[in-house]
Amino acid sequence: MLIKTTLLTVLQHAKSLVRPPIALALPSKIHTSASLKKAEDRKEMLASLPAKDEGTTGEKSVDIDTLINRKAKFFPDADTASQLFNGIPFNELPICNIRVSPNNTIISVSDYKGVPRLIRSCGIEGFKNTRKGTNIAAQATAVTISAKAVELGWKTVRVKVQGLGPGRMSAIKGLQMGGLNIVSITDNTPVSWNPPRPRKQRSL
Amino acid sequence: MRHAQFLARTVMVQNNNVEEACRLLNRVLGKEEIFDQFRRTRFYEKPFQVRRRVNFEKCKAIYNEDMNRKIQFVLRKNRTEPFPGCS
Repeated sequence: MLIKTTLLTVLQHAKSLVRPPIALALPSKIHTSASLKKAEDRKEMLASLPAKDEGTTGEKSVDIDTLINRKAKFFPDADTASQLFNGIPFNELPICNIRVSPNNTIISVSDYKGVPRLIRSCGIEGFKNTRKGTNIAAQATAVTISAKAVELGWKTVRVKVQGLGPGRMSAIKGLQMGGLNIVSITDNTPVSWNPPRPRKQRSL
Repeated sequence: MRHAQFLARTVMVQNNNVEEACRLLNRVLGKEEIFDQFRRTRFYEKPFQVRRRVNFEKCKAIYNEDMNRKIQFVLRKNRTEPFPGCS
């Protein structure tokens, strides 16, 4: 009787010894979380990437109250329209329109009525495919178009920017590097609080 | 209603300092949540995503309010000149 019980216990013990490897082997046979893991890896990868440049430096900074102490006039008022810049009233200055998107930058220069005279984009400039949507391409385009505008005799311009993208800041900088005198910068991004239904989200 | 061109969302450039003007414009537009709305409306936001975002914003606002109150409480001063030598 004693021997039988001891044998049984030994057997059970042996069984319990054998069991763990089987239990360990089980999860690898059932594929439950492989796809989830892939999505997680993707998320991690995207989070570790550096933030994409959208030309919005200074968006998150908080030192807006310092403006009050400054004497300089940063915002236009009713008299600005008739104010003279280089001998031309503000509302008769030529306009430089910059249209920025993540993949391209299009710059056009028009007279004060809005009739376009020059147009140039990163694609025309010779940058193709993904290189179009870089800040370097935008700057090069801006430099060439500003040289052409100076040839026309337009040295003082107002700038109107539309959209977000890597070319937003560098295009404005390029205009100045090309020899144009920028009087004002206007944001003309179309933003609606009740837009028609946009396209569906990209699957990442 | 359309706003007056070159009066709304406009910054004048001072002393040819284009970068500073740009930063100021970006800061104002960022604060007014115009960029946020622009980014949000590039793609359709599903109703469950709207609910999640709105709930998160609510929680964040409550937390910020409480935290500000706590900071004000810790920093409270009971003297005629609250920060001597700092004005």
